[in-house]
Amino acid sequence: MSNLNMQTGSVVPKYDPQNPYAYPAFMPSSADSSRRSFHVDDFPVPTVKSEEWKYAPLEKMGSFFMPYDASGETAINIAYSDGSTLDDHVHLHRVTRQELEDDPDSSFIPVDRVSVLGWNAAPQLYKIIITGTLPSALVVTVTSASLSLDSLHLFFTIEKRSQANIIIQHHGQGRLSESIDIRVKDYSTASFAFIQQGDKESQYLCSQRLTVGENARLNHSVITLSGDIARIRMDADFSGANGYLNMLGVYFADHGEYFEHRPYIVHNYPSCTSRVIYKGALNGIDTKSAWVGNALILPQAVGTDSYELNRNLLLTSEAKAESEPQLEIECGDIVGAGHASSIGHFDQEQLYYMESRGIPENIAKKLIIRGFFKELFDEIGILDLGDQLLHIIDTRLEHEE
Amino acid sequence: MSVLTIRDLQAGVKTDTGYKEILKQVNLTIKSGEIHAIMGPNGSGKSTLAYTLAGHPKYEVQAGTATIDDQDILSMTPDERSLAGLFLAMQYPVEIPGVSVSNFLRTAVTQHQGEAPKLREWVGTLNASMKRLKMDPKFAQRSLNDGFSGGEKKRAEILQLEMLKPKFVILDETDSGLDVDALRIVSEGVNRAHEENNCGILLITHYTRILKYIKPDFVHVFADGHIIKTGGPELADQLEDTGYDQYLPEGESESALA
Ligand SMILES: Nc1ncnc2c1ncn2[C@@H]1O[C@H](COP(=O)(O)OP(=O)(O)OP(=O)(O)O)[C@@H](O)[C@H]1O
Ligand SMILES: [Mg+2]
Repeated sequence: MSNLNMQTGSVVPKYDPQNPYAYPAFMPSSADSSRRSFHVDDFPVPTVKSEEWKYAPLEKMGSFFMPYDASGETAINIAYSDGSTLDDHVHLHRVTRQELEDDPDSSFIPVDRVSVLGWNAAPQLYKIIITGTLPSALVVTVTSASLSLDSLHLFFTIEKRSQANIIIQHHGQGRLSESIDIRVKDYSTASFAFIQQGDKESQYLCSQRLTVGENARLNHSVITLSGDIARIRMDADFSGANGYLNMLGVYFADHGEYFEHRPYIVHNYPSCTSRVIYKGALNGIDTKSAWVGNALILPQAVGTDSYELNRNLLLTSEAKAESEPQLEIECGDIVGAGHASSIGHFDQEQLYYMESRGIPENIAKKLIIRGFFKELFDEIGILDLGDQLLHIIDTRLEHEE
Repeated sequence: MSVLTIRDLQAGVKTDTGYKEILKQVNLTIKSGEIHAIMGPNGSGKSTLAYTLAGHPKYEVQAGTATIDDQDILSMTPDERSLAGLFLAMQYPVEIPGVSVSNFLRTAVTQHQGEAPKLREWVGTLNASMKRLKMDPKFAQRSLNDGFSGGEKKRAEILQLEMLKPKFVILDETDSGLDVDALRIVSEGVNRAHEENNCGILLITHYTRILKYIKPDFVHVFADGHIIKTGGPELADQLEDTGYDQYLPEGESESALA
């Protein structure tokens, strides 16, 4: 290889930007620069120049960037989806910041200014421990009552060899900074679905830390349906080999709404698999979405299999989508790593085909949008939830012209 | 009794580099119950004729008329043409992910009947039709054409034909790519629709083998954008022996065979 320095018998590999895969371990890694800290001063106030915030409507979000007193008005309700009373499988504790910082199971450390300010202000912090197999899906309903800023921290621990389906839904009118920490311990399977259905002026900024154990599986879905702003950043990694992380996302934005999703996955153990599929449709005027996905495959993550996909369907020419799939491969011995992204309007051939069977254009479009989402809803893996979500989409499509 | 009348139809395709003329003065009359076969070399404009009649947005009419009885179909949107009784079984059916065969067809039938068919009857009719076409009942819940094999796509086209009961059917190379069994099953489907609804049929094909199952009343030779010869079923056999050479201008036979 011509780009190596030959020096008296020993080979010293050198990083070559033209050929970064030659010595993956010498590549610059986002892991080297990504900051995690409990100190607010470690994170400057975001500007349009900040890589992490360049797409967001910062002018509307200023209050999240300065210290605040949280209102504490957010209501949280936890119940089984079949109405039965909570049993031994679920342990709910209200905890303090100190307890969480000392908790060996918690790996949450704020990753940006919003999450550290939210952490400092949070009047409600909960630890939810799941053991065994849940008899039915656990539904956590988070309801905002007013537009005064609030913050919330939820820490879920799925104990070893457990199985849980958990739905976390956000309703109401509010400005909420939320942090979520999920640890799925070895040999467990957990399906989490996060549904954002905020009212028109709602702003929701969420930072998640996800940890998948050895031979564990986390199915993670995010369904963003309404709100003025919804921004969800997810930092995921593994705590053992053979983990499986499946991340699905659906967003359906309308007039003036801004939705942003950032799934970041670090493959830090061998033989783990990650799948990320996000699909969004954007309607109306001044509607915007951003999707930034990253998979970082560290040198030790031999046998990694990783794939990320983002598709955007623009229903109007006034809507705008940003899509950035990234991949950092620092390990030469992997099963696969791929990414794909697309932003486009309706496929004219699909529309024509349906019209030629007697289906008018507006109905054909609705069927295509419905189908676009249905493909993902079928994959969520929580009983009935896919059908319920499809019903929400149907109702929305019925009211659109 | 209905009539599909095509008079002096001139049309072409909108391409990135501009308009390209393809159809030159097409004249054809098809009455209910009649079966017309169209045979002609590759690129002569057969699919263009089919798409132009069925209102594909890429094709543009320059002159001429096409009517079903006294209705001018060329001024209609594609869905209106379908409701007026026209059905095109496409050479390359489009894949539509996330939209099930059943939901798609029920939506289409609802448009044709003016009201949604009762669910139980609907499932029964659909299943019966699929059974006759030897389609696995699971296909009803699969996404339309998504991942279907070539032969499965063609069967799905005939399934739609059976459910929508059009007055006039255009089959654009429905027989291409079918194995012998599939060819028979698909042909039987077409014949059933023909018997039950007395529809008129325009069958575009390259091969006489389908004409053993679907018996044409007329055979037309289509070349260079128009019909250049019309005859009875014997014309098809003749074409199989002699090819299209005699109908083509000097020097064009190479590309026609390609
Ligand atoms: N969408 C299009 N863009 C560009 N050219 C086109 C388009 N559609 C048709 N054409 C051209 O018009 C001519 C006629 O095409 P057409 O598909 O109608 O032929 P055909 O008779 O159906 O051929 P085949 O037997 O191969 O199916 C060809 O030269 C083709 O390349
Ligand atoms: Mg053709």
